[in-house]
Amino acid sequence: MSTYYASLLAESGILLLGALSVYIILATGQLSLGNGAFMGIGAYLSSWLTVTMNVPLTLALVISAIFAGVIGAIVAFPALRLKGIYLAMATVGFGEMVRSFFLNFDTMGGAGGFRGMQHVGVGTIWLWAGGILIAVMLLERSRVWLEMQAVHDDETAAGLIGLNTVVTKISAFAAGAAVAAISGGLFAHHNVYIEPANFGFERSVEFVLAVILGGSTVAPGSLVGSLLLIFLPEFLRPIADWRLAAFGSLLVLVLLVRRQGILDRNLLRMMTFRRAAA
Amino acid sequence: MLTIKGLEVRYGAIAAVRGVDLEIKRGEIVALLGANGAGKSTIARSIAGLLPFQGEIALEGDKLVPNNAEKNLRRGIALVPEGRGILARMTVYENLQMGIYTRSDTSAASADVEKMLERFPILGQRRDGLASLLSGGEQQMLAIARALLSKPKLLLLDEPSLGLAPLMTASLFQMIAQFRDEGLTVLLVEQKARQTLKIVDRAYLLETGRVVTSGSAQALINDPTLSEAFLGGGH
Repeated sequence: MSTYYASLLAESGILLLGALSVYIILATGQLSLGNGAFMGIGAYLSSWLTVTMNVPLTLALVISAIFAGVIGAIVAFPALRLKGIYLAMATVGFGEMVRSFFLNFDTMGGAGGFRGMQHVGVGTIWLWAGGILIAVMLLERSRVWLEMQAVHDDETAAGLIGLNTVVTKISAFAAGAAVAAISGGLFAHHNVYIEPANFGFERSVEFVLAVILGGSTVAPGSLVGSLLLIFLPEFLRPIADWRLAAFGSLLVLVLLVRRQGILDRNLLRMMTFRRAAA
Repeated sequence: MLTIKGLEVRYGAIAAVRGVDLEIKRGEIVALLGANGAGKSTIARSIAGLLPFQGEIALEGDKLVPNNAEKNLRRGIALVPEGRGILARMTVYENLQMGIYTRSDTSAASADVEKMLERFPILGQRRDGLASLLSGGEQQMLAIARALLSKPKLLLLDEPSLGLAPLMTASLFQMIAQFRDEGLTVLLVEQKARQTLKIVDRAYLLETGRVVTSGSAQALINDPTLSEAFLGGGH
């Protein structure tokens, strides 16, 4: 595989983790536009751990995920009072807060960025991305996922069934933040250089876009969305200057035809059935 | 079984329920009747633990803490909310499974889910279909079946006939009447007064957050002083 395609594949693996971080939170009906910030926390903390403290990468990623998970739970508390667009705006505010913190945090290079990390290849990235995708798919078959879906569908009804909706929503936020942090850690160690601009609003939107485009009701939708977002603009290169416009039009078209995204429960079931029949 | 004394519920500056006293005996079917905004649903939601309130609500002598739906469900109060509260992205079976969420007798609870699918054959036929694809009447059945699976002592039904065709409403009311034979205690919130009074034991009539009259269903139907304003609709 050429270095170019390996780099695209690594990017899509990192994006898959970011998309899954949004997907987990979205499963409870909460939209986060601040997951770029959790990615940034994971990127900076894991880089500091491996470069300054000589902690092995795997351990650094786990510590970063736990730390970001705690921050996610703290952020989720005030967010409990907000819904829909108001919650999304609050998470945008949180994202900008974190970005400007790293911009002024000279210990980690401030605006000049941070470097010195050991490079990780596409294999390590996909080991994490694939592993977490499988874990989320297993979670989708569990009782916990039913609880998350119940909160998504009707929070009042979920409370009347006896669910603790507060715990469910906070846990989802914490888990999403942890996955975003792993995405950030891998991003930092793949690019061996990070700066606050890597984890801004555009990054958060990219995560959401991957989920919406690929399918927001099944975990493999995030995989489809991530691969499309990274590879499609590259395949459209022959149309040169028009490629981004063509990509944008394609995106709008997909969302008009399939509001739930490309992959949904029915399509996934059909694909599984055909494979079994073959 | 349930006693309410001096219940007051406010939405900000607006008093939705003002000094309501109410009593429901074990095995009774009692109705809360009144027009939109009379405070019926607010009372049901307060009993279920969805709203903060002042005054006293007690189930079998134990005072209920306001705004604690989970605890109230575990005590035996199940509410089928207005709008049904169907979990739309789940299948019929998954919705029913959520009904046994608080039960600790796991194997008996799972068996009860199967029994419920037999009791409501239409739900059995749609077992693996999405709940959102059910008709309004079928969704109401699903909501009631799910509430019954928590084995409630007191079932609160908030406007179950809302948006249903007359035939479906009639069959729904017939089903509610049968709950009496099973010994279930029911509080039915409704606007269709005449139809409701045919199946309940007693009723309370509410107007702007206060109880204006109450009594046995028969007495209320025969009371000449009750104007068409109260019993006019819902033939």
